[in-house]
Formats: sequence, structure tokens, C-alpha cells
Amino acid sequence: MTASPTLAPSRRDSTPGVLYSPAVRLIGRRLLAAIPVLWGVTLLTFIVVQALPGSAAQQLLGPNATPEQVQQLEAQLGTDRSMIVRYLDWLGGVLTGDLGSSLSDGRAVTEVIGSALGVTAELVLLALVVSLALTVPIALLAARRPGGVVDRISMAVSMVGLSIANYVLALVLVWVFAVQLAVLPAIGFVPIGDGILDNLRSLVLPAIAIGFPLFCFYTRLLRADILEQMQGQDYVTTARAKGIGPWRVLTRHAFRNSLFGLLTIVGLNLGTLIGATVIIEQIFALPGVGRELLQAISNRNIPVIEGIVLVFAVVVVVANLVTDLLYAVLDPRVRHGNT
Amino acid sequence: MPSSTRVCAMATPDAAAPLELAGAAAEPVRRRSHLTESLELRIPIAIIAFMVVLCFLGPTILGLPAPIGGDILDSNLPMFSAGHVFGTDAVGNDILSRLLHGGQASLEIAFAVNLIGLVFGGGLGALAAYWGGRLDPIIMRLLDVLIAFPSLVLALAIAQSLGPSKINTIFALAFFSVAAFARISRAATLQLREQTFMTAARLSGTPAWRTLLRHIAPNILPGLVTFALLGMGIIIVLEGALSFLGLGVPPPAPSWGNMISTGQQTLSASPRDVLLPSAFLFVTVLAFNLLGDALRSRWSVR
Repeated sequence: MTASPTLAPSRRDSTPGVLYSPAVRLIGRRLLAAIPVLWGVTLLTFIVVQALPGSAAQQLLGPNATPEQVQQLEAQLGTDRSMIVRYLDWLGGVLTGDLGSSLSDGRAVTEVIGSALGVTAELVLLALVVSLALTVPIALLAARRPGGVVDRISMAVSMVGLSIANYVLALVLVWVFAVQLAVLPAIGFVPIGDGILDNLRSLVLPAIAIGFPLFCFYTRLLRADILEQMQGQDYVTTARAKGIGPWRVLTRHAFRNSLFGLLTIVGLNLGTLIGATVIIEQIFALPGVGRELLQAISNRNIPVIEGIVLVFAVVVVVANLVTDLLYAVLDPRVRHGNT
Repeated sequence: MPSSTRVCAMATPDAAAPLELAGAAAEPVRRRSHLTESLELRIPIAIIAFMVVLCFLGPTILGLPAPIGGDILDSNLPMFSAGHVFGTDAVGNDILSRLLHGGQASLEIAFAVNLIGLVFGGGLGALAAYWGGRLDPIIMRLLDVLIAFPSLVLALAIAQSLGPSKINTIFALAFFSVAAFARISRAATLQLREQTFMTAARLSGTPAWRTLLRHIAPNILPGLVTFALLGMGIIIVLEGALSFLGLGVPPPAPSWGNMISTGQQTLSASPRDVLLPSAFLFVTVLAFNLLGDALRSRWSVR
């Protein structure tokens, strides 16, 4: 049954040896479980993209191409073969680490993704760092006095942040900071090699557009979790009975336990986060993976679409796995297998 | 076999995750007065009712011009022009009329998507959990595939393969809403299965369909309905995103998303074209989120 927790290692774990350690078994099991999911994702993508009207050859040659030209290019690109053959061909390539080459310019898909991934990764990382750096102190202050001023303001602000679409936020930010105040660039990307300050300036607005809703979401969650710990847990009562100050109980006891909940959500939410970069990269004209993807979809560039979707899916699966492992590292109960 | 985080994942399907869990914060911490509590429900309901009436009846009652086919000679009129309260856009269409008709599209799509999700997803999840057996892992793996997929990406691909239209947008978004509802309803049903009254029903020979309809459905519905309300906000935003990328409601027909997208090109010259539809979008989504949140704390579902 899928609902049963597997972090609790089975009884046979007394057997010594690395292969039998709960962590290794966990990794193995999760990786095995991930294979059919990843395979399903690639198949689904292939079928969906296949259903797109128009072919890559058609898109490349434009509307004035003759049917003969289209046929010729299709033969050249290999897209005239049947769907099953092409899928199996692609799948075979993936197993040997070859993601194929882009239909539009012949570059290797790994190269296309590689050059764009850095931009997206920096954007996501920046958004995560900013949101988490704000979440922790604000959630702690809010939880210190539930119903107090900080709590009410932060809850109201976070409700607003959760209700604002990221593309709306992005445009409002552009309007305020690039059009009205003219302090930050509206669009474009400066590579980190051209100066770290300019690089950061070009990513500030997109990172806020992604990070602010994220911050609101994390803050609500962390606050609720801390309050739950503070209200119902025996260890909190014990700590209080020992005479430990309320702030210390909050930060050293309740907060440390609530971190697990936050960690899980950060890991699980990475997929949504990547989805958000697609539209934000489009608005800010950032040369990231999301922009490549949109372009590939409109060009019917199947190898690139497949490659990017696969990378996204792998990131999500790996993030979930790492989350679980961090649990094991951070939580002695899980580490020693006596949950 | 998945891990404990998977249990969490079940209740937090991809796109829906932010609001789904964030609502947990709504649990009453202090004892709130009866008035505050009823206002928490009534204000969002009033806003939503106002929006619905405004969008669906407004154009007729206010005698607004059609949202498309405006006169090019009337283009780019400023706010508060005679006959055009919010002015006109670059091709001379009345902006208020476009906002309200766009709202119709957003609300219809969001309602349809959530209804489909509630009925099909809710049913699928309950069936998978109730019958379990071999069906359950198959259904769950299929949903895993959808969850491991960045939702916007598949919606984009589906919307583009079917061509932009209102019905196709509903279809593209329903894909995810079904998966999301199925996960929630499955998790809720699994919890119910362990309860004594379910054992009692089973022992007294209640047929499966009756158990599902009379015992499971009433118990999981509050959770699903709150999720649907939060889902309204999510779908309105996602529909806007699709339209924004040119894959939702096809222009010239208005939707908040494609109005924002068109307005983006003239952001510095006339920010109104972006800010007005954004404001409508924001207020509507906020109202649905507040209502979902208030209902969640009232029904104390998580």
C-alpha cells in the first residue's frame, strides 16, 4: 500500500554491512520506483507532442515550403519514421546518455540544456534562498505571539502573496522598478562572467516574482507547524516545566522539529517551482530552460522537449529522494531506525 | 513502496500545493468571536457573488458595448471617457466590457475544471482506495507520472496540440485537477477505511456502491469542496498563464490572461491595460482563497 511510511526500516536491519543500511536500501528502492515514473513521463510527452499539429520540418521551412521540400527535410531529420520507431530510438539513446540532437539547429540536446540550465538553476536558487531567509525569522516572530501584530500582518501579507499570480507580480514589479523608478533592468540577462553585480541586478526581479509567493507559502506553513508543536507536544511541556524561556523553547525545541515539515515542502515543491520559471523566463527574456522549452514546443522540436521534460522530472524525483535522505541525516530517530 | 513524504505528496498535488497546505495555518489559534468567524465567510462570499453577477449580468445591465469589434477611431481612449468608464484599448474596444466578458471566461473555465476534478478525480481516488488491490497501485503510478510533470508544461503541450479554445483549455487543465482531486480523495478514503463505522458497514453486508455513496462520499466531501474552492483560484491563475502565453482563450475574445499579455507590450505607455485585468484577477483569486481558508478552519479539514 502506497500510504505506508517506508522511512521506518524493516526489522531485519540488525544485519551489519553497508548494503543493508537503511539509507542505502531506501535509495535503491526509491530509484527503482522512479524508473517507471520517469519512463511514463517520457512516453506521455512523446504522445502529447506527437499530437501537435504540424511537423518540425513544416515549422522550420515556414508556410511557403512545398510538400516535396517538407518530405525531404523530414527524411533528413528522420521524423518520417513511425512514432514507435522514433520513440524506441530515442529511448535507446537515453540509456546510453545520448539525448539526441535538436531538430532546429542540430546541436546536441545535452548542450542545449546545459547552456540554459545554469540560468534557470541560478534563478531557482536565488528565489529559494531569498524566500527561506525571510521565512524563518518572520515565521518565528509570528509564532511567538499568535494573533499579535507581527502574526496578523504576516498572515495578511502572505494571503495576498498566495493570491497573486506570478506573472502579474512580475509585471507589477517591472512597472514599479523598471518603468517608474528605473532602477533595475526590465528584461534581459547578464551572465555571471560579465560581473556578478550586473548578473544579480538582472535576476532580482524574476527571483522576487518567483520567491515572494514561495515565501508566503513557506511562512504560513512553518508558522502553523511551530504552533502545532508548541501546543501539543510533550517535549515542549517538559522544556517549559524545566524553566526554559519561551523564546528558547520556540527556537531551540519547536522550530528544530518544524524544520522537517518545511524541508519536505521545499523538496516536494520544486516541481511547481520549475513550472513557474517557464513563464517568468518568458516575461524577463531570460535564456533559461523554460524559454528553450516554450520555443521547442512551438517548433515541434521533439528531442529538445523530451530532454527538458526528462531533466525536469529527474530533478523532481531526485529532490524528493534527497529530502527523504536529509530526514535520515537530520533526525536521529530515523537514522537509528527506531522510529 | 514510497516513503513517508509520499503521504504528504498525496495531499499536496503539484500545482495545488501552495494553497493546499498553507491553509493549515488557518486553524484558529485564539478563540475568535462569532462575528469574526461569520465575517470570514461572508466577506469572500459577497465578493465572489458580486464578481459573478458583475461579469455575467453586468454587461447587459450596464448596457456595455460588445467586447470585440470596437471602432478603431475610438482607440486608446483614457479612463472615464464618455461611454467608456475604463477607456478603450488599442483597437477601440471598451475595456470594462472586455474585463467582464474575460471574467466570464475565467469563471466558467475554473468552475468546469473543478467540477470535472471533483466528480471524476474524487470518484477515482475513492474507488482506488476503497477497492485497493491491483487497481490502486496502477492508478497511483499514473497519477505519479502527472505529479512528476511540471503541470504548466503538459497543459501547454495539450493546449497547443488541441489548438487554443475555451473547451480545450478546460480539457488541458482538467487533466491536473483530476489527478489532484484523486490524490486527496484517495488519502481521505484510506483514513476512513480504518474507522469503526466502516468495519460495521462492511460486516453488516452493505453493498460497495452504498458504502461509497452513503459512508465515504459525505465524509470526504468537505475536504474536496474546500480543495475545489482553493482550486478555483489556482485554475483562474493557470488559465491566465495559458492565455498569457497565447494558448488559452484565443484573441480577440477577451480573457484576463490574454488582456494582461497584450497589455504587457504597452506597459510603460498605458499601465492600465495590465493593471486593471491584474486587479480583477487578484481580487477574484483572493476571495476564493479566503473562502476556502475560512471553510477549512470551520470544517477543520486539513
